[in-house]
Amino acid sequence: MNMQELTPNTFSPKATAFAAAAAAALLQACRKSDDVFELETPLLYADNSSKTKLKTNEQFINILYTGLFQTAPTEDYLSALSTILTSIGDQLLAREVVIANFFNTPDVQLPSMEEMRGNVGAFVEETYKNFYLRLPGAAEKAWVTQFIESQPEYTPELVYFAFALSNEYLYY
Amino acid sequence: MTNRRDFIKKSGLAVAGATLAPTLLPSGRLFASTGSRSGEHVVLVMFAGGVRHQESAGKRYLADAQPGETAEGNLLYNMLSGTPPNSQILYGTGDGSVAIPSILTTPLQAQGTLFNEVRAFNTGHYGALNSILQGSDPVGQGLRIRPVAPTIFEYLRRHGGYAASDVWFVGNSVGGSIPLLNYSSHPDYGIRYGANFFAPTITFHPNSQTYIGDMKTYHPESEWSPMLRLKSFLDSNFSMTDQQLDALGNTTEEKENIKLFMKEMNERTNSGTIDLPPATDSGDTFSMGYAVEVLKWFKPAFLCVNLNDVDACHNNFTSYIKAMHRADHAVGHLWNTIQSIPGMAGNTTLICIPECGRNDEPNAIVDSNGFVSFDHSDENSKRIFALLAGPTVPANLTLGSEGTAIGQVSDAMMTVADLLGVKEAVQQAGYTDPSAQSFFDLI
Repeated sequence: MNMQELTPNTFSPKATAFAAAAAAALLQACRKSDDVFELETPLLYADNSSKTKLKTNEQFINILYTGLFQTAPTEDYLSALSTILTSIGDQLLAREVVIANFFNTPDVQLPSMEEMRGNVGAFVEETYKNFYLRLPGAAEKAWVTQFIESQPEYTPELVYFAFALSNEYLYY
Repeated sequence: MTNRRDFIKKSGLAVAGATLAPTLLPSGRLFASTGSRSGEHVVLVMFAGGVRHQESAGKRYLADAQPGETAEGNLLYNMLSGTPPNSQILYGTGDGSVAIPSILTTPLQAQGTLFNEVRAFNTGHYGALNSILQGSDPVGQGLRIRPVAPTIFEYLRRHGGYAASDVWFVGNSVGGSIPLLNYSSHPDYGIRYGANFFAPTITFHPNSQTYIGDMKTYHPESEWSPMLRLKSFLDSNFSMTDQQLDALGNTTEEKENIKLFMKEMNERTNSGTIDLPPATDSGDTFSMGYAVEVLKWFKPAFLCVNLNDVDACHNNFTSYIKAMHRADHAVGHLWNTIQSIPGMAGNTTLICIPECGRNDEPNAIVDSNGFVSFDHSDENSKRIFALLAGPTVPANLTLGSEGTAIGQVSDAMMTVADLLGVKEAVQQAGYTDPSAQSFFDLI
């Protein structure tokens, strides 16, 4: 992974698992079949400027699935879903469809409303680390925190949806 | 339908201001059109996979292709005038001996104009499909890369102002670089002017529902709109060039409509109520059923559908004639259904054209009926035909004859451009073949 100016790891245990799984999933999606990778504490990007490589459909699905379900998808699942993504011309729409299906699955692992509302600032930081493998800038953290706090009905699921659908999440 | 429309209207209103949607003109267009339009809807069938002229427009069935065989006749009797073979019926259903009944009481050739022999540019599938969509011989066009020159989809959207969901490409599969055909890599055109695309054999295959058949529905105002507001903020902090964008420019309203369409297709696939051609037993007929559903739902200005099953001819001539017969059946169903779609009946133009032909001489592969097979690489592979029908197309007119070509493959896209008001803009852009012209200019 192309990371610059590495920041010291400040992941919570849950976020570490999430991000490590995401990093491993990215590696798995790229690996040759006889390679063996071990999970390491994921490193953080200093900012998003070095994210210039577009994830493949397989990488996108693998990372998102692993993050949301805390387990890697099977190779058959990965192959089938990435083929389906290819069959839909508007890739943004296709990802909306995939994410909306993930969130309709009972096994999806999401923070509770109480966890998010208990400390919105910390939740925002964890979410940036989970999805973007970086910390939010001060302005980003302030905006997103205020955005969530100003809308009592806004759920962690909607936050995750927005991050999973965002442009930055497509790049590494 | 009221609920669907209401939902779309609400969701569209709800996200207004949340995203930077292009300005919709009262006509429903994104931008003002640059030319006059003589047609309301155009459907282009890429009757593709490599159709040998002798068995299609030549109507010679086995007589030309298979040594010792004499059976002649018209396999494509929904499209072309002429009697079907009266012996050696191998292309039908069951064991092949039961020919599929004609859907159209009057063949399209009698309803419209047949260009009996037309010149193709390219004898490879992807290059040849590109020649239809780009209107040029795509020199330097490689597999697995986007079309190098703009496609008709992009011309329509950029110069005609057509919305994304007004321009569709329905592919037969996701193989053979087919999903790359909905827009080019040209820097002045590209994704922002691309067509919406489905490959129904994948997108709507019953097995796919395990993966995408259970979308959660979000409230347009209290959930979806705020979610998009956060996404919009996140995107504003990540710079991307136009070349990095991967969205076709469907508005939120259009996307919600497409998702509703997908949901309905999944439900109707399960209930067996997709409007498939009566004898659907192939990928081409399956694809055509969903193309028809796209027409019914979106009533687009332009839809292009690609068929490909006839390519079985590389190693199985019997499968080839079966596929050709089914492709004709699919076209018959398409035209018949269009005449029942409010808003499209009576004001839709149909263009059917193969992307390339097949060789004069067979290869060494013999199928179970002892029939030789044909590849596509020689001069005979550049012999194709074109068939037009619609309100402004002269009826019962045949132009050209075997060996005397009138028209070339690039003329199909120029005809679409002509009908939908962008011909001058396409010509001025300068990326089409210098000889490309509308079929109407040849009539």
